Amino acid sequence: MDLVDNRNQNNRSPRRDPISLPDGRGSVSDCMHLAEPRPSGSDLERGAVSFQVLVLLVPVLLGFIGFAVDLGRLYLVRSELKIAANAMALSAAQLLIGTSAATANASSVSNLTVETGSGFGNKYDFGGLNINDSGGNFVSTIVDPTFYAAAADALGTSGSTADSTTAKYVKLQITGEAPVIFWSFLSLAQDRKVNVIAQAIAGISAPLCTACGIDPIAVAALSTDDTTDFGFAAGTRYTFGYMCNGNPIITGITGAAQVVPYLLLDRYNQSATLFPDEGSQLFRTGSQGLPPTNPYDSTLVNTAGLPLGCIQIGAGETVWASAAPQACNVTTPVSSAQSYVCGLAGRFDPTVPDACTTIAEVDSIASINPADTDLTDLDDYTAYVGNSRRIITVPIVDALSTGTMTVLGFRQFLIEPDPGAATITPNDRYSRFVVLYLGSLMPIKGSVPPRPDATLSCTITSGPGKVVLHQ
Amino acid sequence: MRQRGSSLVEAALFVPILAMLMFGTVELARLGWTYFTIEKMFNQIARDAGAQQAINLCDPADPQLLNIINNAATATEDGSGTPILPNLTATNIAVRVERLDPTTATLGECDCSITGCDISAGGRSPDFIVVYMPDGYTVSPRIPFMAAITPFVLRPHVRMPFGGT
Repeated sequence: MDLVDNRNQNNRSPRRDPISLPDGRGSVSDCMHLAEPRPSGSDLERGAVSFQVLVLLVPVLLGFIGFAVDLGRLYLVRSELKIAANAMALSAAQLLIGTSAATANASSVSNLTVETGSGFGNKYDFGGLNINDSGGNFVSTIVDPTFYAAAADALGTSGSTADSTTAKYVKLQITGEAPVIFWSFLSLAQDRKVNVIAQAIAGISAPLCTACGIDPIAVAALSTDDTTDFGFAAGTRYTFGYMCNGNPIITGITGAAQVVPYLLLDRYNQSATLFPDEGSQLFRTGSQGLPPTNPYDSTLVNTAGLPLGCIQIGAGETVWASAAPQACNVTTPVSSAQSYVCGLAGRFDPTVPDACTTIAEVDSIASINPADTDLTDLDDYTAYVGNSRRIITVPIVDALSTGTMTVLGFRQFLIEPDPGAATITPNDRYSRFVVLYLGSLMPIKGSVPPRPDATLSCTITSGPGKVVLHQ
Repeated sequence: MRQRGSSLVEAALFVPILAMLMFGTVELARLGWTYFTIEKMFNQIARDAGAQQAINLCDPADPQLLNIINNAATATEDGSGTPILPNLTATNIAVRVERLDPTTATLGECDCSITGCDISAGGRSPDFIVVYMPDGYTVSPRIPFMAAITPFVLRPHVRMPFGGT
């Protein structure tokens, strides 16, 4: 306050007149009066220099207050927009499953993260302004998400965009107008708002070595040399039939001549308190994939010590004990395999088929999972518009055996309904169903780093990944 | 004497205004910083919880969820560390589970049942989660001569897609 007081006294001049200060600045002649005896002030002049000082000081003060309040607020707004953009990009990338409808679904679901109906959508500016709101004083827009097939295209500025069937990465931008208070008095932001931009890129990760919540049926690689597709051909139908010994060999279902035998991998949770019955567990696994368990809990493991909820590449898997293969001339299916296929049928129709009603607690398990929203028998996967319930991710092993099978990778198949039917046949003698080979199109939701004690080698270059943020 | 008196009067008028401006600046900035801190913390909780396997978001006492919230709020998994903001505990923070309705394309709260999102009963994982404070976080700015100012209740929330199983 000394500054103000001194200036006050020094500048008392009879010529000083508030009206003579149109530009708000003092003049050279001010200084000449410094050494002069102080003239007595008049009422008119009192406070005139405070005014002058204020004129000098106020912009500085406003600038600094603006640094604290307005710049802080802008940083907050940017952070909120970035979080909102991340949420949008992550939810969009989750739906990029290689179909023609994928990008449209992705866009509409990502917009749900900022919906305003529930009051829980992401917002900005202290949670006070809606995102993607064109009304009101502060406009925010979502620049239409763009989709890319490669991470480099998404990260660069000149990458070519991809169509819906090849899109793997999504980039989007949110532009929001943020209010400023103190800087708006300066020339910085005279319209009292500043545009803040946040961008997010999400997409598929590197191929996963550990996948959780997938479907524990092992099929042997048709060709172990082919590290991309293991000898399967995309868009080709195969008949999955439960492995059996001897003759007669399993025949393919109409339209899918090539038979691929499969085995159930051991994921029996003997200490389960929820659905302790083995048949219930098989049915549940069939209907939704491996039920979630904490992969780091060393008590939640199968007899080989492998985590119950996840499958790891390189791990030595064994067949589900009660689902050991039988002779091919037995006319009834392996009952454990039948329980499993009963669950698979629930992906088409949640009504429990007659052949499956003996499974313990089957009705309550069947009520958990909805059916797929697209049950069409498809040759062209890109036309699929369902909710991914029919897509199964299965471990590919080196060879099927009742001993140890080594997991080589994970690949995805679309289950097709039986010819002329709306669902699959749960009590088929060989537990057969038709699948369409997809490859590695759908991001996997459940993934964890390998257990700390794992000593598995995983050097894959191809396979499904999970959704991660790239920027 | 008349002048000194006038400058004193001026100072008496000016000092409170300046003090109010300065403290007000600090307190307003602190308000923004507090909101920013909570928002970042919620983001961490949402991203962390959204990548877990078998996390039961219907149960506020779920050990995995508590670890994540404590880790974000106190940098210790058991919650023994100093909270990053005063009076912040894991019990202040709640997670809302949401399910996407494919037919209406809307997000709704997921009930905690076997047909909803209660995975301890066998239900499926939610599609989205929202981390929020049901009662908000109260900040009382201490600005001179504005003692009667109402405390601000900050209500940040973060919605993230759930990416675990």
